[in-house]
Amino acid sequence: MSAITASATLPTRRLGLRAQALNPLATLARRRFQLTARTPRELLVPLLTPVMFALVIAPALKSALHTNASYESFVAIGTVGLLIPLNTMFAGIGVIVDRENGAQRELLTAPIPRALLVFGNLVVALAITGLQVGVLIAVAVARRIHFSPTTSGVAWFVASAALFAIGMYAVAEILASRVPKQEEYIARVPAIAILPWFLAGSLFPITAMPVALTWVAKFLPLTHGLALMRYGLLGDSTSLHTIWGMSNPTEMAGLSLAVTAAFALVLTALSIRVFTRSALR
Amino acid sequence: MDPHAIEVRRLRKTYPGGIEAVKGIDFEVASGEVFGLLGPNGAGKSTTIGMLTTTISPTSGTARLAGFDVAKHPLAARRISSVVFQEPVVDRSLTGRRNLEIHARLWAVEESEAKARIAEIADTLGLSELVDRPVGTFSGGERRRLEIARALVSQPRVLFLDEPTVGLDPRIRAELLDVIAGLRARNDMTVLVTTHYLDEAERLCDRLAIIHSGRIVALDTPTALRADLGREIVELRVNGNARSVLESLRKRGIAGDDAFTVGSTLTVPLHEHTSGEAIAVVSELGVASAISTRQPTLDDVYLRLTGDRLAEAA
Repeated sequence: MSAITASATLPTRRLGLRAQALNPLATLARRRFQLTARTPRELLVPLLTPVMFALVIAPALKSALHTNASYESFVAIGTVGLLIPLNTMFAGIGVIVDRENGAQRELLTAPIPRALLVFGNLVVALAITGLQVGVLIAVAVARRIHFSPTTSGVAWFVASAALFAIGMYAVAEILASRVPKQEEYIARVPAIAILPWFLAGSLFPITAMPVALTWVAKFLPLTHGLALMRYGLLGDSTSLHTIWGMSNPTEMAGLSLAVTAAFALVLTALSIRVFTRSALR
Repeated sequence: MDPHAIEVRRLRKTYPGGIEAVKGIDFEVASGEVFGLLGPNGAGKSTTIGMLTTTISPTSGTARLAGFDVAKHPLAARRISSVVFQEPVVDRSLTGRRNLEIHARLWAVEESEAKARIAEIADTLGLSELVDRPVGTFSGGERRRLEIARALVSQPRVLFLDEPTVGLDPRIRAELLDVIAGLRARNDMTVLVTTHYLDEAERLCDRLAIIHSGRIVALDTPTALRADLGREIVELRVNGNARSVLESLRKRGIAGDDAFTVGSTLTVPLHEHTSGEAIAVVSELGVASAISTRQPTLDDVYLRLTGDRLAEAA
């Protein structure tokens, strides 16, 4: 008996995009949000270190190094580059908890494409990251750290931060799918979330490092993300120029955005593949 | 003609490393039937359910749910089925109701319909008082009932119960068996239940497949499986070599091909002789330290087919 013959015996109905993808995605995202809201550490812990950097360490460095006020702004953006990886990597722990002690197996038997499980988590990670970046910027402004936003500048900032967050969440999802235990996952977080931050021009321009490391930094997605965010929120294209050596800021910003978008796209596709393969025994 | 609710053909699963968990099994389950897979841990029951629920990819062979090939049309197969897993698979920090709602939404049950079904199922399964508490506060039995309720919210045509009572204390297990037995009344729902408990299999299942080392070694109704072993069994504790005693009983026509030994115990199904005749022959031989008679059980069936006692193997 073929499936086509059999389908005639089932209650048939046309399932549109809304029923096939959007409703399940909303359900999965709401579930993830409810689970996250019950573990406040996932919301608060990633925020602590960047806020500390923006409010305490950056002013202290400014004072110690006798730099001007723009250094605080430089570091404030740099701390966004720490907040995003930390938050998205923390979000990845939820995937392991789901697999070990949660309802992941039930979700895997649901009549929905399994990629939606990844997207449901991503939506929430992105929303929480956005909220945290907003808090960080608001706290920095309250501390009288200066930004010079324009409409297009904010758009560059948001696009850059969102794409970088998507890419980093994909990294978290891949790691969570491949690592069996939370302990092993957490042990890998510093190397993924913090090490690149030191190299990507967060606290100082990448040209301050030895030439070889400067070249390494140019290939890091975070370097492009931070350069774009500074261009967007500070109107400063110096970091973009350091990467590309061109004169047109918009062109350089477009190129860095393309790099960040490619990072997000490729890693997200890979994360879906790794998740679905690891879920299927 | 309706397709079988479940149809499995030459289904095989070999895990990486060459471990053959399922070695080419065949069976079909009619719509509305309660079908059991009986066997010890490691026999291949959960792997079979995993393949039918599309969480394990078959190495070869086919499996269809209501005609839908689980490998070619996994979404269609999943749309008409639900699973209760062997181990707890719930969101503990969410309420019972939220767990049920998530299932309903993912299986595309309309919101108002889902609300009505949740109220009805929670009432039927005695969860009404608990359903708004976080699942983390539920006892093992309550959580199991919630998982059964969740599986029923989408009104599946095929329900998989993977060792539904394992790890529960006897009282809760008895309660849960009542619940599962009550599922039979639900319209046209086909149930595939795996278990290594004989009483569970006898009580719940219309038909049983006994699975051993990845192969189905017997498949029939519990009554027919027992009937193969005759009306009565004589069990002897043998002094000396049980196999030579078995040969002696075969020569005298008391034991047939289905008599078997385990250690010093000899089990003789009686087909044409009475227990009195059998005991007289055994007494004449003077080889038994203890003799008892009883009705055949599924454990005898399993033991004869596999050489293991199910309870010990499990």
